[in-house]
Amino acid sequence: MDRRSAVNTSVTHHTTHRRSKSYGRTFDATSRFCYTPGQLTITRIPTSREAAKAHKITEKVDPEQVALLVKNEWKLSYVTPLYQFRYTLLNVYAKHLSAFLVAEKQQGTAVEVGLETGFKVTFSTVLGMVETKDDAETVFIQIHSKPVFASAGDTPRVVWSGWLTCINGDPEYLQSLPPEFVSLPLFCTSGTESLTFLVKLWFERTFDCSFGSLSLDPNDLQWLAALWTGCHSDNNIRSLKLAWTLPAQPPLDVSLTVNGQDAWDLWEKVRPGDRADDSVSIEEVKCFITGIESHFFRHFKIHLSAGVLKKVSTALGSVHLDGKIKITCSDYMITVMTLLTECAILKMPTI
Amino acid sequence: MTRSSSLSELGRATNCSDEHDSSCNVSSSNRSLRLAENAKRKSEAEAPFLVAFKYFSQVKAGTPVNGNDELLGHLDRVERMALAQGLPPDAVSIMLEFAMSLRCRSSISSRVLRFLIPASVVPQEAVVRGFSWLCTQKMPQSMQILFLRWVLTMFDMIDCKDNLRAIYGFIFSFVIDESLCPFICHLLYLLTIKGHVKPFRVRKLLDIQGRMGKQPYLMQLLALYKVFCPEMVTLTMPSRMRAGFKNHSTTWKAALAALKRRNAGKEAPSMELTLGVRKSNSRKRKFHHLEVPALTPAMESSGPNARRGVCLQQLSSFNELLDNLNSIELPAQMGSLLSSALALHYLDCVQDESAFLRLNFWLGHALHEEFLFGPADGSPENMAEASHFLSMLVSTQHFLQEGFSSTEGFLFKFLQVWDGFLHRPQILELLSDIPLVPSSYIKDALFEPLMQLYFTSSVFFKCSVIECLTSMLRKWLTWHSICAQEEGLDISLNNRSNMSLSLSGFLDSVLKLVQFVGRLTSAGLQLERGHTLLLHHALGFYETVSDMFLKYSLPLFVMLPPGVFYPALLATDPVSVDRLGYIMFRYRQNLTSAKEEQKKQKELSIHINRSVYQEFNSYLVAMVAHLWNSRSFSLRSGIQVSEALLERTKVGDHSNCFDLIHHPAFLNYAIDFHQQCWPERADIDLNSIKAGKYWEWYVEFLFTQGFAGLRDFIKVNINPTVTRHSDGRPSSGQPLSQPSQPSQPTAEASSTALS
Repeated sequence: MDRRSAVNTSVTHHTTHRRSKSYGRTFDATSRFCYTPGQLTITRIPTSREAAKAHKITEKVDPEQVALLVKNEWKLSYVTPLYQFRYTLLNVYAKHLSAFLVAEKQQGTAVEVGLETGFKVTFSTVLGMVETKDDAETVFIQIHSKPVFASAGDTPRVVWSGWLTCINGDPEYLQSLPPEFVSLPLFCTSGTESLTFLVKLWFERTFDCSFGSLSLDPNDLQWLAALWTGCHSDNNIRSLKLAWTLPAQPPLDVSLTVNGQDAWDLWEKVRPGDRADDSVSIEEVKCFITGIESHFFRHFKIHLSAGVLKKVSTALGSVHLDGKIKITCSDYMITVMTLLTECAILKMPTI
Repeated sequence: MTRSSSLSELGRATNCSDEHDSSCNVSSSNRSLRLAENAKRKSEAEAPFLVAFKYFSQVKAGTPVNGNDELLGHLDRVERMALAQGLPPDAVSIMLEFAMSLRCRSSISSRVLRFLIPASVVPQEAVVRGFSWLCTQKMPQSMQILFLRWVLTMFDMIDCKDNLRAIYGFIFSFVIDESLCPFICHLLYLLTIKGHVKPFRVRKLLDIQGRMGKQPYLMQLLALYKVFCPEMVTLTMPSRMRAGFKNHSTTWKAALAALKRRNAGKEAPSMELTLGVRKSNSRKRKFHHLEVPALTPAMESSGPNARRGVCLQQLSSFNELLDNLNSIELPAQMGSLLSSALALHYLDCVQDESAFLRLNFWLGHALHEEFLFGPADGSPENMAEASHFLSMLVSTQHFLQEGFSSTEGFLFKFLQVWDGFLHRPQILELLSDIPLVPSSYIKDALFEPLMQLYFTSSVFFKCSVIECLTSMLRKWLTWHSICAQEEGLDISLNNRSNMSLSLSGFLDSVLKLVQFVGRLTSAGLQLERGHTLLLHHALGFYETVSDMFLKYSLPLFVMLPPGVFYPALLATDPVSVDRLGYIMFRYRQNLTSAKEEQKKQKELSIHINRSVYQEFNSYLVAMVAHLWNSRSFSLRSGIQVSEALLERTKVGDHSNCFDLIHHPAFLNYAIDFHQQCWPERADIDLNSIKAGKYWEWYVEFLFTQGFAGLRDFIKVNINPTVTRHSDGRPSSGQPLSQPSQPSQPTAEASSTALS
């Protein structure tokens, strides 16, 4: 009940006596003139963020679980709120999902059969992976394959893993959801496409949600490049690697590796010295990237700004434009996940 | 048993050919006779195929191939049919029998197998007979392999497999053949049930394995045996095996897929909401978001003490729905309700807010992914599917008589990027379903993008935009009038409740919309040089606007702009003038009754701007001056043109050139009337219609031509008693106006005007 805002209560109160069916507007208010805030804005991209600070996440969260999250490269998706998802039923979900996987795997056409293996699925909560009270706890899913003829020494092999999370989700959005919904907008997967597809299908059928792939914006990549560089003084980023694709014929790929210290020096130059707060503005980020690009232009006479920034990687992690991310250092995980949660929420159809 | 069933199959085939015999027994030799026989057949399109199938069921062994045009012709025909639409089950039996019996050369047989694409199912008996031919051992090996691969590829389409399982032993016996072994193992793998696993078979397989090495196909089959009977297979299996048999033929699969696609395409245009779930087609997995999910009950554990009600898919009729209305459970995916008409009826009664939120999440996601996020895929199939989805959405919203909020949210975003062309009919239909937009948003969300498209597109697009906005206005007004009735909404503004605030908000939005359309139509008519079609759409809009008070009890009066009024008044087609007359008539009725309402209620509950009366009156005067009083271009006609310019037109009497007789829209009626009155006159003098009773008759004559709008206009606005001028000219009914002071409104209208 705590999720329900005052506005919402009045809505439900009204709709009980009004016969008008609210296909019209979900949050259709007292009068029909009240919109969900931001409904008509297409994007609400923040112009400033908090600088990345090292959070010792392992103090809050079980280090073993954190280790699972930093191990893989994750493919990102967004997912609409889950209906009737209950943290108390995770074991039941695990059973259902493994049964579903076996059933679906057996359904193929005759020519594609093979001896199918069984699946063991585990659902677990990553307790503590939250920042605000509105964030729902992160859910981690693993699929192990169980070979039919497993020898005694064989441990079940992890064939797929994924997690649903929400870090620093937009409180206005989260609070506007009725209590039957759990919003875990960011879905990270690692494993075969076919298993990812089946897991998504099961979620869609069970919690009436929908998945879409989450590709990032070059802006997001620039943010991460700047935020990671800003950490250099505390945690050596070794080097800042950037990759662009330029619209030439054939397309020209440019990758640039900047020494970590040099990148940090440039970043410090860009930041006004008298900053009292820890926020980073979009202007600073743009200025930082422009600095790197103009440096490159001086040497190679190529305008990188004409291309698209495709990839950013440092010792802390790497991110690819098509929605792949790898986090190597858990200390700065929260910053990255905050940004990604925001991207996922922006994809929600009701925003 | 196998034998007997395959014989019965053959019997069926021969019976079928016997029937044909009666009609065309000599056809193979006598072409003309065959043509004559064919003509008798009901369906001419099918006849050649029937003949071809009959031919193949009867062709004698050893028939020569070279130079046999008849055989090759039939073969071509069947091949085309097979690849285009697939073969019906009977035809599959006949053709398989023909191919397997090797009655012609084996090259012909393998050709037949290569195009043997079933339309629906493969009769089991045909396959069983195929195996019996395989046992004759006179078949070349390549043909045997081809047959086995065909069976494997079509395995899922075989209607039933019990007889095939019954001949498991026969099939197993081929396992010793080294080249057939991989295919036989695969087939056995598909057929094996526990009862088939016998020690002697296991021994045989192990024996072969000893000879041929650990072949994956043997291992797969042995592994399956081990799963069924672990005690019989002592072999240790590697925990990870190379999975699968790689025996399928891609050409057959491609042909099957193409066939399926084509058939799906054929079904797509039918837009009616089918009862039951629409079968999902073979769309690529990652693009499945445009599929309406299947109706399935929610998972048991979804609620802690879930009361099991009736699932929607158990209901098959409206009566059943009514009987169970209170115990129906919502499905697992709300989107599935869009898949059936019955479910939509139920959706109409759903009160649960979160159910609608689920539906909107699903729908919004599908629309966003397909039209906003996804890479543009312009393939015809994709376009057809997208357009089918949108049409389904349109008909659903029409059924529910309300738009979904996710459609609305999507449309506002889509309008910003729309080219005005993609799925235009559906997008405009959906747009017209948008519920009232607050006036503060309406400009940015709706007007700006529409205006850009409107002014840069063809006149037909302009017409459809006006039509869409007309329909939107009607829906808003209808919603308002129903809402007002249901909630006893007091339309007076004295009441300071929530609803009256919302009424002012509503008025604001409607006013903005009407003004917007006013700008669009005025400028559009100018751009398109008064295009008749556009003019009609504009007049259609103002027919609704003029009646807002009486028809929808909305106290809002907005006159049509001069940019629409004058083009309609001076239009060359009588229908426009007639519609304008009707619109002016409705304005008058509305204003008059609003005035009366005001008088009754004493206090100023309905505020009508004075300028509305002034505008109405000046239009009225102009219209009467032009049509009735023959005073075009006079001071009060609304159009003033300098004398010099009028001289240059070389029109003799320009003051009467737009009266009901000389108006270009009515000229041919006048001539018609003239001829009926004075059939003997050679030269036409239209002015003679103005004399005496003729004028009244002429007006009556016009009324009989179906100009009801004009009739209403004249009856209400022109006083028939004052028809004659002293000079004897029938100069006409006065507008009930003749104002004493310029600011005072005219005629009857003076009583409606504010004093």
